[in-house]
Amino acid sequence: MTADSYYSQSSRRVGWVDFAIAGLLAGLIYALVTVAHEWGSPLQQAPVIHLEASYLPGYALLSLSRGVMAYGISFLFTLLYGYAMARVAGAERVLLPALDILQSVPVLGFLPGFVLGLVHLFPHRNIGLEMASVLMIFTGQVWNMTFSFYASLKSVPPDLVAVARLARMSWWTRFFRLDLSFAATGLLWNSMMSMAGGWFFLMVSEAFVLGDRDFRLPGLGSYMSLAIERGDAKAQWMGVLTMLGMITLVDQLVWRPLVAWSHKFSDEPSTGVTHSWLWEWIRSSRIWQATAKIVLSVLARLRPSAANKKASVHSPTEEVRSIPRWRKPLVITLVGTGITLGVVKYISLLATLSVHDWLNLLGSTGMTFSRVLAAVALASLWTIPVGVMIGRHPVWSRIMQPVIQMAASFPAPMIFPVVVGGLLAVGTGLGTSSIVLLLLGTQWYILFNVIAGCAAIPHELWEVSRLSRFSWRHRWVRLILPAIFPSVLTGWITATGGAWNASIVAEYMKYRGNTLSTMGLGAVISQATERGDFHLLAAAVGMMAFTVVVFNRLVWRPLSRLAQTRFSLET
Amino acid sequence: MNPTAPILEIRHVHRSFPSPDGGTVEILQDINLEIHEHEIVAILGPSGCGKSTLLRTIIGLESPSSGQILYRGQIQSGLNPATALVFQNFALFPWMTVRENVAVGLPALGLSEVENKQRVHDVIQAVGLAGSEEAYPKELSGGMKQRVGLARALAVQPEILCMDEPFSALDVLTSEALRNEVVDLYTGKGSPVNTILMVTHSILEGVFMATRLVVMGAHPGTIRGVLENPLPYPRDEHHPDFLALAQKIHTLITQSMLPATPVLPGHEGTTAPLSVQSIPHVSLTAAIGLLEVLENEGSQELFQLAHHARMEPGQLILVVKVAELLGWITTTHGRVEMGAEGKAFLAADINTRKQRLNVTLRTIHPFDLVLEALKQSSNNEVSEADMLQVFARAFPQEKPARVLRTVVGWARYGQLFNYSSPRKMFQGIQPTGKQA
Repeated sequence: MTADSYYSQSSRRVGWVDFAIAGLLAGLIYALVTVAHEWGSPLQQAPVIHLEASYLPGYALLSLSRGVMAYGISFLFTLLYGYAMARVAGAERVLLPALDILQSVPVLGFLPGFVLGLVHLFPHRNIGLEMASVLMIFTGQVWNMTFSFYASLKSVPPDLVAVARLARMSWWTRFFRLDLSFAATGLLWNSMMSMAGGWFFLMVSEAFVLGDRDFRLPGLGSYMSLAIERGDAKAQWMGVLTMLGMITLVDQLVWRPLVAWSHKFSDEPSTGVTHSWLWEWIRSSRIWQATAKIVLSVLARLRPSAANKKASVHSPTEEVRSIPRWRKPLVITLVGTGITLGVVKYISLLATLSVHDWLNLLGSTGMTFSRVLAAVALASLWTIPVGVMIGRHPVWSRIMQPVIQMAASFPAPMIFPVVVGGLLAVGTGLGTSSIVLLLLGTQWYILFNVIAGCAAIPHELWEVSRLSRFSWRHRWVRLILPAIFPSVLTGWITATGGAWNASIVAEYMKYRGNTLSTMGLGAVISQATERGDFHLLAAAVGMMAFTVVVFNRLVWRPLSRLAQTRFSLET
Repeated sequence: MNPTAPILEIRHVHRSFPSPDGGTVEILQDINLEIHEHEIVAILGPSGCGKSTLLRTIIGLESPSSGQILYRGQIQSGLNPATALVFQNFALFPWMTVRENVAVGLPALGLSEVENKQRVHDVIQAVGLAGSEEAYPKELSGGMKQRVGLARALAVQPEILCMDEPFSALDVLTSEALRNEVVDLYTGKGSPVNTILMVTHSILEGVFMATRLVVMGAHPGTIRGVLENPLPYPRDEHHPDFLALAQKIHTLITQSMLPATPVLPGHEGTTAPLSVQSIPHVSLTAAIGLLEVLENEGSQELFQLAHHARMEPGQLILVVKVAELLGWITTTHGRVEMGAEGKAFLAADINTRKQRLNVTLRTIHPFDLVLEALKQSSNNEVSEADMLQVFARAFPQEKPARVLRTVVGWARYGQLFNYSSPRKMFQGIQPTGKQA
């Protein structure tokens, strides 16, 4: 089962590729040392951030390290939570709604808890603050990955499960070679989206005011915040370019090779495969081949044959691992007590708010709600026609896909000030401008999905529409719109979720020494955080989560059902 | 024929699932069977007769509701270590190479690394996969994929090789080739295959491969008969003995599925007793096609008819039952003959056909149930959920959703009542113009 013959087929060039990889490893070690140094240094609540260009690479490295660590945590969380949700009997009923609510809580909602708790835990070192920042990036990344993994686990083909059982695979083998392998493709695409989602709140995650304390961590996000606050246009440009460079680098060095590699997990014949220059080179380099060989042989040893033998032989219908019967009441009591306690605490926190506060909250919710809807509507207006145009032409999609992907992973809040500056100059207030900001952040999700949906329309249906001499209007109403509806819906759901979250940075910002704000739930959350008004913050975050969940239940869920039944392209 | 002790004994095995209305649907009923060393046993039967469930129960992938399975005299619980399974749709891991897929069951056997390699090498040679070891399944044709499935099963050197319709996902030529290869493996010297237990819906496939044939009937799944097949290998599909045996099995299936005194539904004007059986899951278009064949070829034996219609006899029987239920044809001792009603139907134009069908369908039990429910309702509407419950009570052996789908399909053709899928509602049709 070794890969000997496979690797000996590819040429064994020892050349600059190997040197490059060695160099990369050296760089990685340097980066680790730098990051460790930053983490271990004494707590500096708000270190001086320098706007000179020479500091940018270091800042980018620090931000990247936070993103990567957050991703690592997201990945572990996804494996644990997703697996439990799909495979532990009864867990789904609790964990699925919990995940639904968690993902609707805006990133800032987690901030005070993380920061205050962790800074208390490590009062003298930077590590607490760093961890809080990482955890906030994590909350921007994790949820869609978890959902994807869960959905994959639920759809593992029963025949493959039967094969795994007949082969008496151990739990580990089965997890790696069946569950994780089957989920790999979906997990990878969602990882790319998650990384982008994490960058979205980079500025907030690295520089925030909590009550009377101003927290800053050296990084690209805090650099951008400062540049925007000071109105330093040159620094802003440099920051944006560095961010773009970092995203491109990660895309070329990490995601492309991974996507190329992940084709082996897909069932479809590999036509039109994403090519990665890096993957081709790495695969043919000596260092890689040697490493792969070692890893494979180690993996081959990891085969406790004794444990294997008893695995799953005695339970003919073993499917889900269930909690032992006697423990069930215990688990339910514990979880129940925890939830009750949390709810009581939360309500007592809210009890201090006045009627006026509540009315204000309701009004703000209404404002943000309309902005979110307006942004999604506006985004649909341009992305649907453009997306259909791109999706119909495979050549265009191939060219545009990477461009759009880059645009989507760029954190829109970094260019908010520039846009707002322009709009204010024309005479629009922040109330209206923030719609444009929400649009900037979320339109890509719709565009992506429209392109994918349109590309999936069977060729024959286009031909029928031509043969039946559909008018332009008919073609849209009878063919395109119904066919792309399921994908557009997915785009809408993601976009509205993103827009709610983005309202926090769109409705309230520091710009050229001034504070701009407009009435809205996002502004309330930002202000409450800054003032350290945790009662108001708790109420506002709860309000947002509640609105999002209710909207999901009342609007998106019935529409999804419709999409799956009436508008499914499978007949 | 087999004086030795059996490897496997299946004793009084029952299998039932809970049905939506709280009752149970019986899939297997009192199955008794013995499998001996060095034989190929084919389990034959129409789709839905529980033959795959039986196979999976024998392997231990599913457990019986009651009854026992004995392996060499020992009551078996859990997976039977002496079996391996070849799947209908291959069930290969897309992310593993051919070699890795074949080796998937070996680690659990606890053999040495050298022996593992040797076994993989041997089976890959034996099934003709040499040269494709490093390919991924998606790069292979259907026939090659099933060779991988076969190699994977053989690699663990099972005492009993189980196959679940192993050739039915392949095209005719490929399945023909693989069938011969499996027989060659079985009859070859130093054969890696000792005993084969296979499930198939094809009589010819069963007669071609098996030394013993187990014929099953549906609703609930029971064994209707067991036949020895002493024909020597290699078998000739045109040999008179071969055809005679196939005919014998076919008669057995026909007798068990088509009772000698058919239940005729009432015709126009008459008030014949309602048929109380459910309806087979077959489209009306297929039944009309059957009439066309009968008109062209004249009255026929079911087996000949299957040949003319290019259908598996097991599947054709369902169509015949439908045509009989509608009063179009009659069957006596396996001979299918067009009746007067059938001739009249075929001669009519599309609208007259619909009218005739409208009248006939009213006398068939499931449709009568819907019409009755519609009559009882105040607004001439009945929900799908209510109807499913009615079906579940009336036809405890059937899947209610399946009955519903067939009923809706036929009723639409006969314009008996409407069904709206988004609203999940049955709606009555107000009779317009002349009515029966």
